[in-house]
Amino acid sequence: VSMPDRRTVGELLADSEALARETLLDATLEQAPAMVRSWNQLVGSAVELWAVLPSAPNSPSWSDPMERLRAIGEALSRSVTAGHWPGQGPTDEHLTQIADNLSHARHLVERSGRPSQSTTTDSPAVLQHAPGQVMHTLYVAAHGTVVALGAYAADLQGQVETAKRRRQPVAERPAALEVTEAQGMIARFDGFEHLAAAAYLAVATPPSLMNPGQAATPTKRLETALAAWEVQAHRTLAASPDPADLVRVARVQALITSTTSILTEAAATKGHIDADVIQRLAPSLEASQIAWSRMAKRWGELTSPASRTDPALVGAASEVRAAIAATATNQAGWATPDQLASRLDLPHIVKTLHLSMVASIEVAYVVRDTAADHPGLTAPARIIGMRSQGEAEIAIEQGETRYEGVTWTIRRQRASNQLIPLPEPARRGLINLADDVLATTNQAVAAGAQLDPSDVTRSTRSGQRAHLGRSAQSHQITHPRDPAPGGPRR
Amino acid sequence: MSFQRMDADTAETLAGVVRLLRRAAELVWAAADTEGAGSPRQVLALGIDLAADEARNLLPDAIAVQGPAPVGDEPAGLLRSAEQLLRRIDTPGAGAAVHGLRARVADLVWEANSGVDA
Repeated sequence: VSMPDRRTVGELLADSEALARETLLDATLEQAPAMVRSWNQLVGSAVELWAVLPSAPNSPSWSDPMERLRAIGEALSRSVTAGHWPGQGPTDEHLTQIADNLSHARHLVERSGRPSQSTTTDSPAVLQHAPGQVMHTLYVAAHGTVVALGAYAADLQGQVETAKRRRQPVAERPAALEVTEAQGMIARFDGFEHLAAAAYLAVATPPSLMNPGQAATPTKRLETALAAWEVQAHRTLAASPDPADLVRVARVQALITSTTSILTEAAATKGHIDADVIQRLAPSLEASQIAWSRMAKRWGELTSPASRTDPALVGAASEVRAAIAATATNQAGWATPDQLASRLDLPHIVKTLHLSMVASIEVAYVVRDTAADHPGLTAPARIIGMRSQGEAEIAIEQGETRYEGVTWTIRRQRASNQLIPLPEPARRGLINLADDVLATTNQAVAAGAQLDPSDVTRSTRSGQRAHLGRSAQSHQITHPRDPAPGGPRR
Repeated sequence: MSFQRMDADTAETLAGVVRLLRRAAELVWAAADTEGAGSPRQVLALGIDLAADEARNLLPDAIAVQGPAPVGDEPAGLLRSAEQLLRRIDTPGAGAAVHGLRARVADLVWEANSGVDA
């Protein structure tokens, strides 16, 4: 019979932070797949605890930062459940223990709220710091997972290259696809880490350090709209989306990218950003905007007159559009740098947009998963027949033999332009477009690393593929621009 | 106005609005594409798309949106036509959704006339 757990909420949270640090220090490549599998359980426990904690005094009023993280955790889980790397298998002991601690802490907080059942000796001050501790735990654990994944991908890449050099038969080589999939997972966890770091900073910043101008309405309105958009995009994409939803997601992301470009250039003109940053960033943002727009057009081919867009997505998109129109445009088009500087807290909003760009990588991964896995995708036979043939020909040129001689639609379907299930090559085309978005957006995130409010990117990214082959120094982690006067806890 | 209570004329009018808005959006997106990445026309084009989505979502599934393609290649004119159709059905009993949609389309007409599309 196991002893009852008599730890207090404060002790459970401190233990969770310590375990997260251990996860980071002990991160090995063998653990990486298990850590990915455990992630959703960890985030789920954190979300449940977060919901019963008293709000942190400085938690951003514009949104619940945990909602963003929950959306990413669920998207990762769906991806794994759908059979993507690393697939089913064992989970990670450390992360599972943290999840158990957080769940137990939630029970204690819930019970302490009932008048006759005071079971915790935690003071109100302990609970006041709890949101920051939860967020910090997620941040450190995400970083540990990124480190383990980096080692895993680097090792696998090494095996692939060695096998090539030794001319091993292809069947005996490690799959190059697994390297790509592990690298993709690194990018997703990188995004989670940055968002958790920014949220941690937001809840842990002492009131005296808060910028009073942050309450200014246009800046706040845009921030609020962007945060609500990200969460809604994840919700819609998680619930069997219509191609019309995918079009809207891509169009809104393209507009956000253009706005990021305009506001960042204005910030540079006003001297808030180094000129060399904007020189690197501008072409990447342009490429990302083009990639999102291409994706929108291709998904548009899958819509039919009867297509509907999720009303909640329409609402969130409308608010993003309205906020951008009100803050970043004038009657002639985009607002001038002077106008933008007078309306917005430019240094602040540029950081927010950078964070939004980091979050958009996860949205792109979910779009990619939708293209790969959504069983209900259909499209009008005429256009999708042509599209499938075109994609099949490209694949055949690249050595794919399964598509040779295949007809994708039949005469009757074309005659009535019937809605037909999406053929594999058409899915492949959509996946390739998502990959373009991912490559260009990752490049933009790397180019704008100095704008990251958490400073995490500055230390860990030096280029698009900076996540590959992380070395031991990645095991060192400090609080992102730690605002706590006492430095890192524990 | 609920799906159940929508009469055939209103439904046909709304379907016409959807077609007009979708055509207007198509034209503005084409102009935005011609201008290249970062075109400010995206703002208007997305606004029209979202108004079309709203109009579509007011219609019950049983109503076919397909119909004659709207004539005209001038977005502001198409938006004006959509607003006029909505005015017909924006009666006191029509409900907040139709009223709100009409107001949004009227804003889009103004944007198309005064903004970069003017």
